[in-house]
Amino acid sequence: MSTGTVSPQQPAVALRHRLNIDSMSQTQLAAFRAAMAGAVKISDERGYNYQAGIHGLPLPTSCDIAHGHPVFLPWHRAYLYFFELTLRDLQPGVMLPWWDWTTDPAIPAAYGKATVGGKSNPLHSAKVDPLALEQGVRSGDRRAPKTFREPGAEGAPPLPTKAEIEGVLALGSFADFTHQLEQLHNNVHVWVGGDRGHMGDIQFAAFDPIFWAHHAMIDRVWRMWQLRHPQAGVPAALLNEALAPFNMTVAQTLDANALGYDYAVQVNGSSGTGG
Amino acid sequence: MKRFTSQPLDNPARKGQPDFARADIVFYGVDHSGPSFEARIFLNNPAADLSTPREEASNFAGSFTVFGHAGCAGDAGHCEVPRGPRDPFDRRPPHPLTPQIKTVIVTEALRRVAEGKLTITVVPVRPGANGAEVVDALEFERFSLLTYA
Repeated sequence: MSTGTVSPQQPAVALRHRLNIDSMSQTQLAAFRAAMAGAVKISDERGYNYQAGIHGLPLPTSCDIAHGHPVFLPWHRAYLYFFELTLRDLQPGVMLPWWDWTTDPAIPAAYGKATVGGKSNPLHSAKVDPLALEQGVRSGDRRAPKTFREPGAEGAPPLPTKAEIEGVLALGSFADFTHQLEQLHNNVHVWVGGDRGHMGDIQFAAFDPIFWAHHAMIDRVWRMWQLRHPQAGVPAALLNEALAPFNMTVAQTLDANALGYDYAVQVNGSSGTGG
Repeated sequence: MKRFTSQPLDNPARKGQPDFARADIVFYGVDHSGPSFEARIFLNNPAADLSTPREEASNFAGSFTVFGHAGCAGDAGHCEVPRGPRDPFDRRPPHPLTPQIKTVIVTEALRRVAEGKLTITVVPVRPGANGAEVVDALEFERFSLLTYA
């Protein structure tokens, strides 16, 4: 893991760190909630509905190559990167947290409470774009206007275990790794969504605020795999693939540090001028 | 389909067969246009159904999960995946509903059923309104059992 990266303009730039949702301070969590609440209020392309809709409905479906395809990981890395930037425009310093379902096999407390401090918790639920709902009805997939979850419903696959993640991290080929990790990722979607919850369906999954923490965990596992297998990587034939609708290629997603972030278990410290 | 059981296959785990370090069951042409579900795979357990536990004693070998699109929201033809050879100058991305490949690693499970012929049973399960249910959404073109030294 890294703390800084080289920039053409400056000798070193401090990286930002995504944290485990359970390790965030109250201040960090409050800022993250404020950013999410702010995004929900914006109706243009900076807003939550637009960002969430990229993944599925409303049409056009922009995730043509995002699932069941070897660019699953790069596409979602770009997706998180741009969404995180929109949050940072609203609350500078905010970073997406990750939900480690291997150590926290339940909806994290930060996402589970309907209200916080007497106000609705923007991590618990979000309003779904009415156009997406209307198109869902057309497809026979009527969904509730606010996201909800049915975690661990009977018939859902279990959440991934530490051993399963270790198993995929041990795989030496990118194609094998991404395929197996995507399967574990699918399990989490169905585990959270259950029968009618939004996370269980590609078209509506990204409207659920926990989507981003789930995908930050998936991205983190990819980052860990990259560090364990520095000689392995995305096949050359994929590197110049465009990741529509993002103005990035696969190659531009490979280095998380070049995108300004890394994953840290903890970040402690103080100003350098202290006694 | 609601359930699939293969014809009896030659068993690569049988005594006298080449040793293997890994075994995969690969499903080709898996449809993902419908609901999400988990496809539970059992070896030599053709009676496996919704109530069969996902455990070694049931010869549970692993699963793949379809993260489904749950229907078509577009106009007529929107969800029809183009068939046939692709125009070499067509640079558009693949259709979102292009059937997928699912690979399930079954190495240890296969080693546990080293006697006789082998059958593969797939039970598609999803959470329903009244608990777990078998869903009529399992569609694939073919499968292969592959072993690697």
